[in-house]
Amino acid sequence: MRVHQVLSGAGPHDAITTEALVFRSYFRRWEWGGADYAARIAPAVNGSVEQLGRLRPGPGDVLLIHHSAGVPRLHELLALPNPKLLLYHNVTPASWLWNHAPLVGVQCAIGRQQLPELVGAVDVAASDSQFNAAELRARGASRTEVIPLLVDLERLGPTLPRAGAAAPKPAEGPVIMFVGRLSPHKRQDELIRVFAQYRRHREPGARLMLVGDPIAPGYTDSLHALAGALAPGAVTIESGLEARELGDRYRSASTFVCLSEHEGFCIPLLEAFHFGLPVIARPAGAVPEVAGDAALLVEDRDPAVIAELVNLAITDSALRAELGRRGRARLERYAPDAVAQRLRSAVERTAEVARARDHTGVRR
Amino acid sequence: MTEPERALEQARATAAAMRADGAYGEDPQGGELAPADAPTPEKLFEWALIDPDLRQVRSTRRLGAPITALKRGLVRLLGQYHAELIAEQARFNVNLVRYVRRLEERVAALEGRLGGASGEEGEPAPPPE
Repeated sequence: MRVHQVLSGAGPHDAITTEALVFRSYFRRWEWGGADYAARIAPAVNGSVEQLGRLRPGPGDVLLIHHSAGVPRLHELLALPNPKLLLYHNVTPASWLWNHAPLVGVQCAIGRQQLPELVGAVDVAASDSQFNAAELRARGASRTEVIPLLVDLERLGPTLPRAGAAAPKPAEGPVIMFVGRLSPHKRQDELIRVFAQYRRHREPGARLMLVGDPIAPGYTDSLHALAGALAPGAVTIESGLEARELGDRYRSASTFVCLSEHEGFCIPLLEAFHFGLPVIARPAGAVPEVAGDAALLVEDRDPAVIAELVNLAITDSALRAELGRRGRARLERYAPDAVAQRLRSAVERTAEVARARDHTGVRR
Repeated sequence: MTEPERALEQARATAAAMRADGAYGEDPQGGELAPADAPTPEKLFEWALIDPDLRQVRSTRRLGAPITALKRGLVRLLGQYHAELIAEQARFNVNLVRYVRRLEERVAALEGRLGGASGEEGEPAPPPE
């Protein structure tokens, strides 16, 4: 078997590129060949992903199309006779991006426009959450499979503080953390406002730690300015962290708060569970199905309510312990080997469906 | 211990009680961050017809004159490809500008009609030149 992966874009720290590389390691373990391609490649990716224009699949090679943004010349890709498996990771609604990252907004708008064409042309349509599967069905998919994101949590290092890691000192205040692209839909701005109120009314020594790559430099500047105005010196914003460094940040955190308005999966929830952190999250997109009963879900827009929930999650040690236990239990659903088996079944089924299609001329 | 299922309820109650005591009274300053540096329509029109400046193709190294000459030679060699690129981009830009302009005219006309219907003086904004 040979499987070529096609990505909308490849970056050194983005979740989908990371997952594609984990997929590739499983493919090698199964002695499957193929290579990974992307329409747009960030310079820091270092040759592990090739330009999409170089894709030359042999007869019968399976194309695994990860869809998360627009792909140029998609019709040429879909015209290839090869078996095709779509893995839909969701596309951020462009309305969140026009003000701060219009180029990404265009790519996302195109990505959403392309979805019906993709759904109609692939042999098997899959997604990484039920939320995303519902979008596929709304765009014409008659049958969908769910293959959760395959997350390699071991890359983050041990869950206990490592020697030399930046562990919190008892004298320091609690650390609130969020990990995700620095982008308007992730609502780091709202989290900064909540944090400022929490700090003013509950813990003056608290710190907020935001980790993520910027969607546009101007947006990061705006977040820095907001943090400087509302909580001077108490907010750190870091980008480009290696996996071990990210693990260190999780180990130094007291709680994880996600106020994102749109999530197709949300890997950082699982990372926070891995490190035993209590998680507070807005139930947007796939967050409720990924978090289950292991997170405190808050729909409220009132910063005071969210700040008080943060205070509970930090001060109530029994609540923390219960959330930690539930988080670890939740992780069992996403055990990598089980997810990998679902991936393998989907790829093999794609090859079978394509063979049947070639014989009968009928798609699915 | 607070049960996870009751934590939100408790947080709401505590926030309400604290607010009644005078805490959490400040303006939460909600909403999105303001857009940073959105170009004006006039600027967009100016950018629509792209015209790359060959003088910008140069070496920034000391004694880089031969490299500059090489780079400019390569640009000339690839002239056909660049002309195709520029044509594709300009076609898109010009049609987008035309589309925006029509939308602005329609909005101006609608605003004018709305102003007339409500008895106010509705002077439609002229489309940018």
